[in-house]
Amino acid sequence: MSDFSSVLSPHEGEIHVIAAAQHIVKALGANKNLDDELRKILSQLDSHLSAMTVLTTESRGTGFREVEEQLKYAEEKIRGWESNQSLLWDSDEFDPLEASEFLKAIDEIQALIEGLRSLSVNGNRKQKELLNRADSILQMAMSRLEKETIHILVKHKQYFQPKNMSFRSCALDVLYDESFVSVEDIPSEEALQRNSREKESDEYIFDLVHPQVIPHLKSIANVMFGVNYGQEFCQAFIRVRRDALEEYLVILKVENFSIEDVLKMEWSSLNYEIKKWVRAMNIIIRYLASEKQLCDQILGDYGFVNPLCFVEISKGSLAHLLNFGEAIAMGTHEPEKLFRLLDMYEVVADNLLDIDALFSEEAGTAVRLEFHELLRSLGDSGRATFLKFGNAIAANASTRPFLGGGIHPLTKYVMNYIKTLTMYCNTLNVLLKDQEAADPNPVVEPENGQGVSSITHCQMACHFRSITATLESNLDSKSKLFKDGVLQHIFLMNNFHYMVRKVKSGELRLFFGDEWIKEHIVKSGELRLFFGDEWIKEHIVKYKQHAMSYERANWNSVLSFLKDGDSPGLCSASKAIRGFTIAFEEVYKNQTGSSIPDPELREDLQISTSQKVIHAYRSFMGRKSSSISEKNIRHSPDDLQNYILDLFNGSPRILQSSRKK
Amino acid sequence: MPATDNQGSFLNRISIRRNQVVSMDGNHEQELEDLELFQKHVADRFADLLSQSEDTSGDGLLSISWLRKLLDVFLCCEAEYKAILLLGRDPSQISKPPLDKLVPEFHDRVVKALDVCNAVSHAVETVRNYQNLAEIAVTALEQRPIGDGQVRRAKKALNSLMILLEEKEGSNHKSTERAWSFGRRSANATTSSSKDRATSASQFRSLSWSMSRGWSAAKQIQAMSSNLVAPRGGESSSPALPVYIMSTITVFVMWALVAAIPCQERNGLLTHFPVSKQLGWAQSIIALQEKIAEEWKKKKEKNRLAGLLEETQRIEKLGVYLIEFADSFQFPPDADRLEEVAVQVAELGETCKKMEEGLVPLQQQIREVFHRIVRSRTEVLDFLDQGGKVTASTM
Repeated sequence: MSDFSSVLSPHEGEIHVIAAAQHIVKALGANKNLDDELRKILSQLDSHLSAMTVLTTESRGTGFREVEEQLKYAEEKIRGWESNQSLLWDSDEFDPLEASEFLKAIDEIQALIEGLRSLSVNGNRKQKELLNRADSILQMAMSRLEKETIHILVKHKQYFQPKNMSFRSCALDVLYDESFVSVEDIPSEEALQRNSREKESDEYIFDLVHPQVIPHLKSIANVMFGVNYGQEFCQAFIRVRRDALEEYLVILKVENFSIEDVLKMEWSSLNYEIKKWVRAMNIIIRYLASEKQLCDQILGDYGFVNPLCFVEISKGSLAHLLNFGEAIAMGTHEPEKLFRLLDMYEVVADNLLDIDALFSEEAGTAVRLEFHELLRSLGDSGRATFLKFGNAIAANASTRPFLGGGIHPLTKYVMNYIKTLTMYCNTLNVLLKDQEAADPNPVVEPENGQGVSSITHCQMACHFRSITATLESNLDSKSKLFKDGVLQHIFLMNNFHYMVRKVKSGELRLFFGDEWIKEHIVKSGELRLFFGDEWIKEHIVKYKQHAMSYERANWNSVLSFLKDGDSPGLCSASKAIRGFTIAFEEVYKNQTGSSIPDPELREDLQISTSQKVIHAYRSFMGRKSSSISEKNIRHSPDDLQNYILDLFNGSPRILQSSRKK
Repeated sequence: MPATDNQGSFLNRISIRRNQVVSMDGNHEQELEDLELFQKHVADRFADLLSQSEDTSGDGLLSISWLRKLLDVFLCCEAEYKAILLLGRDPSQISKPPLDKLVPEFHDRVVKALDVCNAVSHAVETVRNYQNLAEIAVTALEQRPIGDGQVRRAKKALNSLMILLEEKEGSNHKSTERAWSFGRRSANATTSSSKDRATSASQFRSLSWSMSRGWSAAKQIQAMSSNLVAPRGGESSSPALPVYIMSTITVFVMWALVAAIPCQERNGLLTHFPVSKQLGWAQSIIALQEKIAEEWKKKKEKNRLAGLLEETQRIEKLGVYLIEFADSFQFPPDADRLEEVAVQVAELGETCKKMEEGLVPLQQQIREVFHRIVRSRTEVLDFLDQGGKVTASTM
């Protein structure tokens, strides 16, 4: 440190001043009370004093010799480092002593500058020259520090590695397409992923720059801010950290799309991009918490500069995530998009508190508001898509009867769709609640009875039942397309049975008790709870009725041949058998072609058919054995029993070869 | 702004009267009257903008404050447009000619406008970088006494500024030699190596502030204006007219933003798009268009780097001056020269202050325009959906 007092020595002019001062002191001693006027003059004098002590050095140019010496010393040090190509804070040959020497040299220059500057009102040439030199060296050193800052930040950058970085569903996954040709069941992987996401929500902060260099960066920041080069430091810092974040987005495979691109994109690629986006959102927000910590560590002492830099670093990358979200929310409302929209909604909602905290300062207001806006858009879009799903079911029309009368793809689609939706129960309820507030004709049914699980009466459950009602009426019209009344029943029975089975599936979980189920409702896909036992009973009755109607419509006419007529003669008995055989073969031909995919349901129907038909056949034969000629009996009761097992398998067959003489 | 004041009462009037009018004939008459009023408001608002463009105090044509007024005008016109299009109208009307074609076309256009908004918003970030660099130069050159250190600090920042300007705005003309000479001269004159220059150029190249690869603002504007045709004959009084008016306004506003702010790929930006000269409401828009086109031409001829944003141009001009000063600087400085420089530095400081005060609000306003466009598009599509019969455009 230069000691400016060393260049001072008493001068003739000063003696007068000293004398005057002594006079003032004496006068003040005599007067205890200061009036305002005097106080003002004295305080002015006081503020002049420090300046005056240094002003006196002007007259003694030779007094700068020491200053010049010190400047030269510091200059040599800094120039020496400047000519050296390697950086001071290079990790390989980092010498803490050398680095601190460098910073110390800057301190010295800064002190010299301050001293010289305070003299400068009427500075002489020598003093100005020295100041110029000192400023010049300082600039050189600052330029150097800027470079060092960038170097340290780049070299000691660490990659953020959350535990669950793997992205298993990178492959394009199973699609829900509007043709309603869907898969039997929802890929369980999806459910797994959702669960795992919830589990690893534990937050942790990662060091994005090696902790060892944080003190170095801090001391550089300190020096640069100290000499009013804070702007340069911030620019360098922002630049490197912003690039690191962008690089990280590249690692997360987040691509840059225009809104036009997104709106034109095929659903399969869009689906893939959305999954990447959801994952990126989750990771980036946690990354930003670490970034914020880094900013706090290094810029924490500089007030508003800190949040400002943080926002500058992050807002570009966030703008991309926001825009993709907005673009998705703008898209059309195809039902298959709903799950992805809800995923997006949930990831924003889950992170919203963190976002609010990260951008709580004024500089971050715009970012914060944008995420709230995005959440709203995604919610609107999700709700619209869900409501449109009901319309789509109503609108799905067929022109041809469904082959075999089996389970219609629409039924599978709808049931699997709502089963998957149970995973989004809470979110969907929030969205639907919002809507009902504005809707004069809500779908929600009046609360009836007590002790009914509240889940059965939540918004989503009501919508589910309304959706399945739509499905039922659609199936009803589809069944009308069958010319054969029997197939109508098989078709409705099959589809209602499928609906019930889907709703009842997961029954085992009931063993775990109500509490457990409520807790796990989101994960279990427990449709049963949403529909309630009433619904199930009602629909079991429905499909059983269709089964009975089937039997009546179909077999009563066949069996009518075996009814005891009034003519017990041989001829009429043989005729009855012939009639029965032809009718049975006709039914066989038709109903081997129809299909009951559910094995249990098929078996049930085969058994009851078998009981009815074989019993009637055997007893007819027993009663009329004498009057039936052997040649009229083409099929034995055992044969018939076997034939009945061929029914409902969906592959038409004809009874020919089995003719017996 | 008077336009904003009109808006509320105008919308009220429309909705109240529309609700009162029952007969179809009365409705049609009402519609004509509303359309008349809309045209008048559009004409007035753009006349306002035209008169403000004459301002010579730095808030004139394509200054930050002028652009902010332009966006205000857009928002006002848009609100009225939507009211005219939707209020009291049956959805089935929009699914019949000529609207069945015009509305989807309009939506195509606004989706492109959304991308332009994003590109402009990104580009405002670049302009803020200019501002930051210019501020460093101001900080350095405002110091007294001024010496080699301050001058070198300023020059370093200004060189980065020029390189950035060239990188972001220079692609509009091939001859960038003059611009490069800043870099070269400074590289030779100071201790900074050419490596430094290269790094400083890439310092500001940011992925996140760019659009997707191959995206071009010029092409978007071209595409937006390509099917812009004034309704003729019987259609000119029908609902086709407001759609045309709003389309023209949208294209004009986006075009002006792109011309002013260094968006991704402005190469081949149209200097002109057709607006029918007979239309009363379009007169001021046409006049403004000519003025901006003139500026664009001047920029090319003079081989300037900066885009048309008033503040950027000023920064470039002052930057060039100050770099020249820095190059010829010798200690001790000449007092007269210093006085001259102080004036320029003060102007640069003034410009930076304007940018500091105006750029962030401008960016927010662009975002507001973005959200407004999104919302209106959704509203119209929902409206059509309610009509039921119409298959809404996917765009």
